[in-house]
Amino acid sequence: MTSSVDIVIEICGSAGEGTISAGEVMTRFMSSRGFGIVSFDSFPSEIRGFGKCVAHFRVSSEKVLSPGKYTDVLIALNDAHAITQLSKLRKNGVLIYDSKPPVCHEEDMSIAGWAKPCMTAYGIPMLELANKAAGNAKGRNMVAIGAVAWLFGIDPEAMKAFIETRFKGKKQKIIESNISSFLLGYEWTKNNIPKEDPYTFEGAAPPIPEGEKIIMNGNEAVAMAAMDSGIRLYAGYPITPATKIMEILSKCLGESGGVMIQTEDEISAAGNVVGAGFSGKRAMTATSGPGFALMGEMINLAVMAEVPAVIVNSQRGGPSTGLPTKMEQSDLSAAVNGGTGDSPRVVFAPRDVTDCYKMTVLAFYVAEKYQTPVVILLDFYLSNSIRNIDKPVPPDEAMLSANVFPDDEELDDYQRFKITESGISPRTIPGMAYGMFVDTGLEHNTYGKPVYDGENHLAMTEKRYRKFHTMQAELPPTVETGTEGEVDIGIISWGSSSGAAEEAVRQAQEKGHRIASFHSSTIYPLPEEALKTFSKRCKTLVVAELNHTGQYANLIAPVINREVHRNTMITGLPMASEDILEYIGRFKF
Amino acid sequence: MPKDDHYVIIGNGPAGNCAADTLRKEDPEAKITIISDEKPLYYYKHRVPLYAMGGCEPDDLAIRPYRGYGEKQIRLRLGQRVEKVVPPEKLLYLKHMEKVHYTKLILAVGASARRLPNHAAFAEHLQCLAGFDDAKRVREKLLASSRIVILGGDLISMGFAREARKAGKEVVFILYSSLFWPVSLKEEIRQSVTKRLTSLGVEVVSDAEPVTDVQPAEGGYTVTLPDNSELSADLVFSFFGSVPNIRFLVGSGINTEKGVLVDDLMRTNHEDVYACGDCAQIYNPEFKDYWISVGWGNAEAQGEITAMNLLGREKVIDYQPKEIFEMDGVTIRTSWWKSFA
Repeated sequence: MTSSVDIVIEICGSAGEGTISAGEVMTRFMSSRGFGIVSFDSFPSEIRGFGKCVAHFRVSSEKVLSPGKYTDVLIALNDAHAITQLSKLRKNGVLIYDSKPPVCHEEDMSIAGWAKPCMTAYGIPMLELANKAAGNAKGRNMVAIGAVAWLFGIDPEAMKAFIETRFKGKKQKIIESNISSFLLGYEWTKNNIPKEDPYTFEGAAPPIPEGEKIIMNGNEAVAMAAMDSGIRLYAGYPITPATKIMEILSKCLGESGGVMIQTEDEISAAGNVVGAGFSGKRAMTATSGPGFALMGEMINLAVMAEVPAVIVNSQRGGPSTGLPTKMEQSDLSAAVNGGTGDSPRVVFAPRDVTDCYKMTVLAFYVAEKYQTPVVILLDFYLSNSIRNIDKPVPPDEAMLSANVFPDDEELDDYQRFKITESGISPRTIPGMAYGMFVDTGLEHNTYGKPVYDGENHLAMTEKRYRKFHTMQAELPPTVETGTEGEVDIGIISWGSSSGAAEEAVRQAQEKGHRIASFHSSTIYPLPEEALKTFSKRCKTLVVAELNHTGQYANLIAPVINREVHRNTMITGLPMASEDILEYIGRFKF
Repeated sequence: MPKDDHYVIIGNGPAGNCAADTLRKEDPEAKITIISDEKPLYYYKHRVPLYAMGGCEPDDLAIRPYRGYGEKQIRLRLGQRVEKVVPPEKLLYLKHMEKVHYTKLILAVGASARRLPNHAAFAEHLQCLAGFDDAKRVREKLLASSRIVILGGDLISMGFAREARKAGKEVVFILYSSLFWPVSLKEEIRQSVTKRLTSLGVEVVSDAEPVTDVQPAEGGYTVTLPDNSELSADLVFSFFGSVPNIRFLVGSGINTEKGVLVDDLMRTNHEDVYACGDCAQIYNPEFKDYWISVGWGNAEAQGEITAMNLLGREKVIDYQPKEIFEMDGVTIRTSWWKSFA
């Protein structure tokens, strides 16, 4: 029989100390052991320097949906940085610090000096042990993992094997250094540190679920989905937090006969994608706020010219270059309404890693079938958050071939922008016989010829919007959790904040509250009927999102036509269930 | 005093806390820090036996919550050991590798359990109960035990025997009259102690000091008496008072003997370093010798006086006995005996 465990761990160090790497080893290992994982890394935006890095991860014997606001275990690889994380450490939390730094800390600069009495502080001579194990300080992170393994009941042999696998491909010396540092950390702690805290993973590993599992983050899921969807061209310019998508595709797209282009800027990247889409090839770009701003005109062109294009925007703090390595959901307005003119585009916002895969597959399908740009809104957290998910099922043939082609009769007098009931005008791919047409950014008649009269403009605009009504039937259903029927509080959220909302609802329900959550992975077109229905059963309605003004709340307000409370936050951190529970604590229910 | 003064007190007992409170009252602006290698909050020491016997929980021992220090703007560093004091640089080195600068330092480090040299051969089998950490260590075993042997004793041992009896334990008290702490028991007091213990249902064994051996046997221990007779016990406790925790001062240049040597203004030989409470040996100009006190009330009084002296309000320590202890009905004056046994 397994016991229940839910522990939030943070590793905090300076850039170059292997903080994020240690976090990744831990999360991927614990995930491989069947634990539910939610992780969130933050690191400095500067490429070089000694900025603060934090690998934050929650390990649970249950499925968890949010990263946890408070920390149970804080591992300090750098005291000066880690001191600022102490305020999040629970009052009975565990602090692990380097007890033998190279020089004595100046007053108040040692994290051990700030540990509260109710905390348990373990001093591990990380530097000394790393030097002993490998002759240099690089293995301090692995010494720390070794200490964690002993203190919290992690099988050292299994971890050792995992490290070997994880570092496979690197030089043998590097692998050996990491393993010897890990083992020395484990042994030293075992022999010198009496355990005084209650946290343990021993006996808490849930049974490995049936079916093939895969450990990945949001960026990896998007890249995998793009490959499975038959992407032929990726064009992009590197930018945090989306770069990983390009890195992955640069390795595998060429092998499958596709093309990966690193363009000179994001305008060019979007232009390449629109060009590929025009020529009938599935194409995608990925960027973040500043790059997305540059892509605006090309997205507009895709709207007007009715060209498929998939644009991933992994949001970070903005505006402008903003907070490159911080979390925010503040590009929603730009994604939905950022175009000039009446410029509808599909906007998806996956809720988790599994959803990243599904919505990316759907994005390629929708873009192709409805001849429209599709924006996928990821965010810093979702891009980097590692989960253990069921191996995704690749799309079937229908999803891979969504083009609506004209029939022979239509080709007799081919009208590329034919007015149809569905809004979808059958299109030809350049090179198809009898399918020639003119396509520009200018308003046009059904043949594609520029026409500027108002009557034509209205008809074409309505046609372009009509596609969004038509596609509703093919979009995923909204998700509601919690109490059925009338509830005191309803929480609407989107993107990666939905996990926190669902978890908050579960916790509030356990306390007997009548509460429910609502999520839609489709931001635009709005699921109007579902929103109205949900709104009607909620006495109080809260929209939880990570921006300042409540962008999603503003978007849905005209639809539900009622007061909405905005649970907004721009701390640079992902939404945690505690954030929502603390917010709704103000309402009597 | 300028605002950047930093008064550091090493020790979180009655002397240290009284000193801190007095300093805060008299100097609202100064930075004040209490450092202690013990983790528990300032606690009632006399309740430690009760806690050890399962009669109360750690929270019941605390005198002041953690937030109480924050409200007084006193920084509390618990579980942090001072490894080294460097008076010329007014600097402390903590075990976790941190420097702490002070402008004035009060040593109120208290004392830990005293072990008898002639018990050294079997010391590992003896339990002590000088403070919370000892109690925490032994609590689980103690709760499971049914028969306890006490060697000693001292002020705490009487309370411990009482709580053990209340908890239904069988208690044998091997009374070391000549080594009773803080003073050897004169016949009159010995009889009072024996009578009191007996009335609690404790079996008192006199004239059996020192025991010659304690060894593990059948899940418990066998205690060998001087006449080679043996007693069995689940646990064996040693209560012989305490010795000042001043080992960390070796090499500091601060004069020590059994405790930290201070004058009647509680000053050490270094201008800005003071000592008080169980760790201080105080000079008595009248007797021209150093004296030591123990006990809660004395420690509190010394803490307050030390703080006043540190602030320049000269206040000479009162040489008269401050406190008379009543140990479970046995009255002993505990102030100002001349030295540790």
